[in-house]
Amino acid sequence: MLNMITIIIGLIQVLVILVLAPLLTGIIRKTKARTQKRIGASILQPYYDLLKLVRKDEVISDQTSWIFRACPWINFAAITTAAFFIPVFLAYTPFGLVGDLLLVIGLFALGRFFTMLAGLDVASSFGGLGSSREMMISALLEPALFLSIFVVAITYGGTNLSTLISASSNSSFLPHPQIIFAAIGLFIIILGETGRLPFDNPATHLELTMVHETMILEYSGKSLALMEWSQSIKQIILFTLMINIFVPWGISSSILLSTLAVGFLTFIGKISLFGIFVAFLESSVAKWRLFRIPDLIAIAIATSMIGIVLCYL
Amino acid sequence: MNKTNLENYANEITDKFSKMITKTYQNNDEIHFNVELNDMPKICDYIYKNLNARLATIICSDKQKNGGGFVIRYVFEKEDVFIFVVVSVGQDLSFPSIALQIPSAALYEREIKDMFGLIPTGNPDTRPLVLHEHWPEGIYPLRKGFKLETKPGRQEKEYQFLKVQGEGINEIPVGPVHAGIIEPGHFRFSILGENIINLETRLFYTHKGIEKLAESMKLDDVLFLSERIAGDESVANSTAYCQAIEKISQVEIPNRAKKIRTIFGELERIYNHAGTLAGISTDASFPFGAARLNILKERLMQLNESLSGSRILFGVNKIGGVRCNITDENKKLILKTVSEISDDFEKIIHLLKSKSSFMDRLRGTGTIPKKTAHELGVVGVVARCIGIDVDTRRDHPYASYSLHDHKTPQQLMQHKIEMEKRTGDALTRFEIRVNEVQDSFGIIRESLDLDDDALFTSIPVHLEPFRSALGCAESHRGQTLHWVMIGENNSIFRYKVRTASFCNWSIIEQAVLNDIVPDFPLVNKSLDLSYSGNDL
Repeated sequence: MLNMITIIIGLIQVLVILVLAPLLTGIIRKTKARTQKRIGASILQPYYDLLKLVRKDEVISDQTSWIFRACPWINFAAITTAAFFIPVFLAYTPFGLVGDLLLVIGLFALGRFFTMLAGLDVASSFGGLGSSREMMISALLEPALFLSIFVVAITYGGTNLSTLISASSNSSFLPHPQIIFAAIGLFIIILGETGRLPFDNPATHLELTMVHETMILEYSGKSLALMEWSQSIKQIILFTLMINIFVPWGISSSILLSTLAVGFLTFIGKISLFGIFVAFLESSVAKWRLFRIPDLIAIAIATSMIGIVLCYL
Repeated sequence: MNKTNLENYANEITDKFSKMITKTYQNNDEIHFNVELNDMPKICDYIYKNLNARLATIICSDKQKNGGGFVIRYVFEKEDVFIFVVVSVGQDLSFPSIALQIPSAALYEREIKDMFGLIPTGNPDTRPLVLHEHWPEGIYPLRKGFKLETKPGRQEKEYQFLKVQGEGINEIPVGPVHAGIIEPGHFRFSILGENIINLETRLFYTHKGIEKLAESMKLDDVLFLSERIAGDESVANSTAYCQAIEKISQVEIPNRAKKIRTIFGELERIYNHAGTLAGISTDASFPFGAARLNILKERLMQLNESLSGSRILFGVNKIGGVRCNITDENKKLILKTVSEISDDFEKIIHLLKSKSSFMDRLRGTGTIPKKTAHELGVVGVVARCIGIDVDTRRDHPYASYSLHDHKTPQQLMQHKIEMEKRTGDALTRFEIRVNEVQDSFGIIRESLDLDDDALFTSIPVHLEPFRSALGCAESHRGQTLHWVMIGENNSIFRYKVRTASFCNWSIIEQAVLNDIVPDFPLVNKSLDLSYSGNDL
């Protein structure tokens, strides 16, 4: 019976991630608009956009193969599977037995791999350009991501997200100085993974400067809706990880209704605040030169390394 | 105007080539030399290399009906003098190309080939420029025999882009339809990884036939046409046109009109510079700075509207003066808005300059080689960013600009030193635009001290046929040249327009060569080129 309830709560957590993902994008866009003295679209706009895209017809180039058509589904499936392992408002998830944080990273890599293939598959000159940029950035991001994850794993005893977040929610922040370094590293990486400034400008219309957007330039209709939804799910997963690992306060550690409610509300509050913070940060930097992005990732690697050293001091 | 300059150059050329020159005459600040076609390259070469003059434009006109054949005028600009070399083209409809000695002539010669069907012998580039491939051969729109309402057929042919070959070379075609709300133009990149190996531009998708259209219109109506060459240069273009007509009719416009022209000219320059600075910020992906600058641009355009009734200053000029008055109430409004905006502008620029990520994007991006800039004859900010000191407002003072040029010798020296230091990258262009906006605020404040005379003087009802004159003005992009030749019954025989964009577009192919693909939009925006102003 208890297991049934945890499984149901686990499923609810997945649903929360899937449903709230576009809202987070909306909040970030709205905040950015306000910083630019614009009124901006409603925070629900990403939902309307998805609905509009789903209703639209698709145009598929006759130069493409099955990869192009399969990519949105593979990408979506990979990222949604990853959502099963993420504790959202309950400090653990019943599906944590099957996979850990490394699997989550692997699933992201799978989705990204197919997105890059799809970019090459359309045989347009922009797709290839976007894929090559994405490859350059992701090849550097992944080791950095692993390093910062290891700091957290060493500190909290394992890469399983349920144990990790349970441990972090039970411990206070200050006894582990290495966690601060891991947080800085992971934060930089998350900006890169989600294609935000200073790595990539999600709001640009200039096809020559895009990274992520160039790969999905040829998608339309339902496929585009899937790609965009997957991207925002990935974003909310990474943001959730960030807040649940580093600021886990308020997360529910039991399945009592009262603590779950508190956990849910604090989650909503924290994720919105985090989104607003990212939007402000985006408003205050210009995009870096493409070939200076490795410098930024090097900072993430360096801080994570300091974190690892601190683990053993 | 400095008479001695004009006489010195006239004497120098006449002494050197006395045997070749068949006729010499002066027209205000223009000196014309009629020469034989075969002697032309020698004289042009001398003026370009020894006098170090800039080729301003090449004008062709069709005088076949009047028994004159085709006449080509090579216009050189040296300090405050325009030197015209005038030749007649013979029955074989070809003329010797000077493109190999004077690279900037290449585009003008290709334009003449398209529009008049005269063959520049020796021009290495035989591809069409203005008229694209589907335009049928043998139809030349600027010949007098071509009727305005002609609907030419369509032929299928392919434009030959330069092929860059080698391992790992990729081609990216961009445009003519772009992702933003901008005008059409095609860019063909050849890239190796992210590095740009070669860029070829293809323009003239919005060719409007302005020059042909003008020949069927009344003098007063062409004024409105000139405003519409490029909407954001309306004051500069209409001022240049008015000045050409005023020069032909030997009319001096009232002082009040001069100052009002200056004020509107500067208002136009400011709002466009603000827009370009915002664009640079957008293309460096710093939307916050762009949003703030766009707000300033909007406020300036609202000021324009309350002064002239038009956000982009249409209908300000009139042949012989101005149409739009500036009352005492307007003066207060201008002073108030200008002081508010200049404060805000300082703040925003300070913010932009303190953003290391933003400044880093601009520094060293889109550097123009000085030699190439000289050869291609660039104008405006693009020339000044590499230390080529040209400014029509100072070189050929029009409106009331002569009142504002009061530099002390020390300031002049500092200006010269500063010019030498300029490096020609996007950051220099950014800073020059900022300085020019600040200067413009000063010029507007000084010009508000209006004289109490008329807004315009009337010009003679009947202008003598086949008199011509060159009018010029400085827009935010650089010098715009309008050459008008009057026809019979107060019509226009030939209206040749050369905007700053026509001179500056070709430099973009050189400016991007040391850059990577993602920096192209930034380079493009920092050069601030107009499609509409180029595709007449």
